[in-house]
Amino acid sequence: MDGSAPQARVSPGPQARPVVRVPVVLRVNGTEHRIEVDTRTTLLDALRDSLKLTGTKKGCDQGQCGACTVHVDGKRVLSCLTLAASADGRAVRTIEGLEQNGTPHPLQESFVKHDGLQCGYCTSGQIMSAVALIEEGRAGSDDDIREFMSGNLCRCGAYPNIVAAIREVAGRGDDA
Amino acid sequence: MAHPDIGEGIDRVDARVKVSGRAAYPTDHDCPGLAHAVLVQSTVGAGRITAVDSSAAKAAPGVLAVITHENAPELHEARDRKATLPPPPLQSDRIVHHGQTVAVVVAETFEQATEGALLVRTEYAPATPVVDIDDPQAEHVHDPFGSDDGTGDVAAALAAAPVRIEQTYRTAVNTNHPMGPFATVASWDGDELTVHDCTQGPSRTRADLAATLKAPQDTIRVLAPYLGGGFGSGLRTWPHTVLAAVAARHVGRPVKLVLTRKQMFTSVGHRPDTVQRIGLGATRDGRITAIDHEARQTLSMCDVNTEMVSRVSLSGYASPHLSARDVQVRVNVPSPGSMRAPGDGQGNFALECALDELAHDLGMDPLELRLRNYAGEHPVTGQQWSSNDLRECYRVGAEKFGWSRRVPEPRSMRRGRTLVGYGMAGTSFFFYQPPCSARITIGRDGHAVVGSAGMDLGTGTYTVMAQLAAELLALPLRRVRMVMGDSSLPQAPSAGGSGLTGSMGSAIHAASRNLIRSFLDLVRDDSGSPLHGAGEGDVRVQDGRIVRKDGGGGESYEAVLTRHRREELTAEGSAEAPAEDRPVVPTGPYAAKFAEVHVDPDLGVIRVARLVTAAHCGRILNEKTARSQLIGGTVGGIGMALLEETVTEPRTGRIANGTLGDYLVAVNADIPDLDVHFVGGPDPTNPNGTKGCGELGIPGTPAAIANAVFHATGTRVRRLPLTIEDLL
Repeated sequence: MDGSAPQARVSPGPQARPVVRVPVVLRVNGTEHRIEVDTRTTLLDALRDSLKLTGTKKGCDQGQCGACTVHVDGKRVLSCLTLAASADGRAVRTIEGLEQNGTPHPLQESFVKHDGLQCGYCTSGQIMSAVALIEEGRAGSDDDIREFMSGNLCRCGAYPNIVAAIREVAGRGDDA
Repeated sequence: MAHPDIGEGIDRVDARVKVSGRAAYPTDHDCPGLAHAVLVQSTVGAGRITAVDSSAAKAAPGVLAVITHENAPELHEARDRKATLPPPPLQSDRIVHHGQTVAVVVAETFEQATEGALLVRTEYAPATPVVDIDDPQAEHVHDPFGSDDGTGDVAAALAAAPVRIEQTYRTAVNTNHPMGPFATVASWDGDELTVHDCTQGPSRTRADLAATLKAPQDTIRVLAPYLGGGFGSGLRTWPHTVLAAVAARHVGRPVKLVLTRKQMFTSVGHRPDTVQRIGLGATRDGRITAIDHEARQTLSMCDVNTEMVSRVSLSGYASPHLSARDVQVRVNVPSPGSMRAPGDGQGNFALECALDELAHDLGMDPLELRLRNYAGEHPVTGQQWSSNDLRECYRVGAEKFGWSRRVPEPRSMRRGRTLVGYGMAGTSFFFYQPPCSARITIGRDGHAVVGSAGMDLGTGTYTVMAQLAAELLALPLRRVRMVMGDSSLPQAPSAGGSGLTGSMGSAIHAASRNLIRSFLDLVRDDSGSPLHGAGEGDVRVQDGRIVRKDGGGGESYEAVLTRHRREELTAEGSAEAPAEDRPVVPTGPYAAKFAEVHVDPDLGVIRVARLVTAAHCGRILNEKTARSQLIGGTVGGIGMALLEETVTEPRTGRIANGTLGDYLVAVNADIPDLDVHFVGGPDPTNPNGTKGCGELGIPGTPAAIANAVFHATGTRVRRLPLTIEDLL
């Protein structure tokens, strides 16, 4: 349709392809899960639909909003652009894995304190990005935080509060 | 009035469940036997469907059903509900916009439904779509809301005015894009339907579904305890919600339907574009003598949408001659809907930019011009304001911003090579407080449960309503639990129009009074109670107890319940909409916005360096969440000013930038520190003194930025969004 005027047309169209399922081992938040997935299934959908870990959110399914951010082998990835099969054997950390023995992660506490969320839908991705940001040493200034958090959209507009929450945990609470 | 749980510093009561990932949004809902539905949408902008071939889709693995206009059940168009209910889907072969839903595919898994949707082949007899607001072929609907109004003789006053501004302003289509794609999980149990839905109004969605499906309301339950944002998208009951219910009945299983991000452009509304003509007349000393505001906006082909754009000019400034008129232009675009500050967002941009132009022509400070034309009473009706601290907003905002440092001449302020501009705008937002009910139960454990069908889309309603109930019953906040977002609870309006705090707060106020009365009824003849025989006026609440004002003692709720062997006591309360035709007219919130922009003189890149808001929102129940509302709205306003534009291809009606990578919303790096100050006192209209603050961040922000860009560059841009191209 793009670029051409609309025309009535008949096209036979493609036929359905067979479903191919593969076994994968997902090590999520320290627990090993052996599951079988459709090869088309993303890590995001496997976490949400197969493992019932719905804390990770689908915002766009196109790698453009950051809501689905998780850590794979310690690095942040967009789970909507990662096939579940490609995460076979890898260590996945999600928002559900941040608490330690019932104690929330300091960033979870600071997001509460600074009201770094409103609807809360992007929050898991924001926090997972922020955890990595601090671990990567990229939260040195407010401008750095703003820049490196710009892959995580927040439509409620909590950005200034998100910056304040990260600033505090990054150890620069003095100018909070 | 002082209560330890009112005011600043109270964390959002639902924050912990949200930062842990445990908050269950509609799309997170799971149930046994769940099937998945995916929509197929039209690839032409107008015309008719001539054939649908769903054989390949039906033959695909896992596909359970394909529903098209050829096999969809009859759905009922409820004419009296059209404002919230677009025409029902799949009822004919007619295509009125690109991206209109033409089929729904149901399968065992999401992947199988997605593939099935790709296999549905649709043939069209396309027509040429009309998509442009300026298209001479487009049908015009005049005075669509019956809201056109005015006073005096605007034409004569404009003709006679010593100074005149006559300009046209344009605003683009914006799309709401809550981060949570809209989703519905529908399940039937016999004739009973349960729907987890992305809605801002469970009571309304239930009524709309009942009308569409011709089912009694009490057979339908709609749940939305959490919502991944809405910004107005959840104020209508969209076709996908209806189709999830239809699909679930069709396959005899629960069905989950989640819109794709691309479908979020075409399926849950948008802020319509506008063309606005403003005429301002004034004396040379800056007294406005006439405001003429005509606003055109687009509307889809078979729908209604309430979006009063020009009305901002009826109440904003004192002027003896006023006229405000709205026109809707029917085009082949998806159904519009409310988007944060509907109408006011676009109307304020035109009015406040025109005022800036007038100030420039007069050689007058824009702030002084606004103060000189402050409306001390309603300019059309002469009614007194219930409260209006707009002048205090101007004073505090200007002081915090440092407005006095502004050098009036455009292009006169620089920081290094960068052009610096200061701009400001005022905002008088509409008043809205529809009827609402609430229920409070206090148990023998001394805890209160407060229930209302209204929902919290991220604004903080759970939090401020819990605080309010705690205050009204003199309970600690930790002993109050809110239950919301469920149509089986007492009826509530949708979370919209910045009205829910006023509505639900008034209902909780009434319910708490009724509950205290019920306690007094219980001990009326109880000589063991220090409260016996006391009337409502004889008591107050304090520290979890009802006490006599005359010092004759009191007792706790749990003491009364225990002695009377009652597990709990419940009361409901309702509040009606305040009358607006009295000598005193209820007023919405006010704000003054002051923006500093930096413009690269070579590249035209515009950055908002800082933005100060001073707002009169009545009594602030929670400064933390209220401030977040203002900040969040301002972020949306910055997007509206500089980034957001939904582009429709003129020949096809297709949305050309239908991804979040192409439709630009503000990211963290676009947003500077935003300064918010609350001024002014409580509003007497509402028993709790509140005004709404959910939308106030939007209007005024684009105008303040556009006016700052003019001050920085000397270039007047009368179209949103302002882009680099406008300055080159």
